[in-house]
Amino acid sequence: MVFYEGVHAHPDGDSTVARMAATAADYEFDGVVVRNHSDATAEYDTDPERIREEYGVDVVEAVEIRADNPEVAAGHVGNYRPKCTVLLVHGGTPSLNRFAVESDRVDVLAHPMEGRGDFNHVLAKAAAEYDVRVEFNLSRVLRSDGGPRVQALQDLRKLREIVTQYDAPFVVSADPTNHLQIRGPRELVAIGETIGFSEDQIRDGLREWGRLAERNRERASDDFIAPGVKRGRYEEEP
Amino acid sequence: MKHLPKHLRPRWRYLAVHLETWPDADLDRRDFQRSVWFATQNLLGDAGSADADCKVLHFEFADGTGEAIVRARHGHADEARAALACVDEIRGDPVGLFVAGISGTVRACEEKYLRRDGQIPDERKVVFEDDQRSAVVRGNRYDVRTDGAFAGATELDFE
Repeated sequence: MVFYEGVHAHPDGDSTVARMAATAADYEFDGVVVRNHSDATAEYDTDPERIREEYGVDVVEAVEIRADNPEVAAGHVGNYRPKCTVLLVHGGTPSLNRFAVESDRVDVLAHPMEGRGDFNHVLAKAAAEYDVRVEFNLSRVLRSDGGPRVQALQDLRKLREIVTQYDAPFVVSADPTNHLQIRGPRELVAIGETIGFSEDQIRDGLREWGRLAERNRERASDDFIAPGVKRGRYEEEP
Repeated sequence: MKHLPKHLRPRWRYLAVHLETWPDADLDRRDFQRSVWFATQNLLGDAGSADADCKVLHFEFADGTGEAIVRARHGHADEARAALACVDEIRGDPVGLFVAGISGTVRACEEKYLRRDGQIPDERKVVFEDDQRSAVVRGNRYDVRTDGAFAGATELDFE
């Protein structure tokens, strides 16, 4: 079982990448995706490779693009795509959600239902076609109460129904901004089951980050030519 | 009242919980119990929280880390776990929380999952964000005092 969590590290959050990784290791995660917003990108004072050795947790460099409109976001996508392993778009308005699910170069649409954001069958079909993962963000379920939490649950239910109907890919995250907000994978599964997800959905969503990182690393490596194309041995003369 | 015959007594599961906060937090069992009740009621409703019947049996907390044993009814351990995960703050102090394991007896729970490592925290000067700051050090974890708040770091950040 390879579970990953998407975290906001210092200066986007309160804890450094190393502290996030250390706590994630305690909580039985296998990796963290450092999804800092594009206006507060992570400082890797310590080499990710060193963190991996020390705590046994994979550190994936990612960026969550936050922009006011699709044009600016598109600029950021071009800018950050070559620099990071996983690229997210900070969703939450109809136009940005639409932009994210229709871009080949975007990996994840983060919290599409937040703020004024909404999701529908058109976006779900596009997400499936362009292979953009939709995020089930559990942050408001874990860390708010009363009316806002009820709304968060309603939003998650709507999103889940649409995403499952069209078989769109998805990821799950508790979206922590410091090491105290991280919750273990079993806790997230328990929460998910309470609010209507299946156990497999949550597990799959946590694993998907890892699969995504592995795929993108392979694509970025020097040996990669095109999907499905491999350099083989030359045929030898008989 | 006469106690129940054995086959009628409720069966329990015991959850071993590890807690973590910023170094300035001060918590006791009652604070934690109150937050647990609050979280179960908010997540599971009155009926669900009565079913899970979460009770804090054992609570130890000092210097930003702690351990607890929470009792829940057999068959409702998952609900209890979900509710515990929603404990986000205790009396205004943000907490990190992890269910280390679930056992059928208090003793097994203590022996298998609770480890009182008792590291005594230490104050040290570090350079963080190009500034001299003091940090509370516990093992390899550093909680750096920033202006009116804390930032989490580890020894790797100051090598």
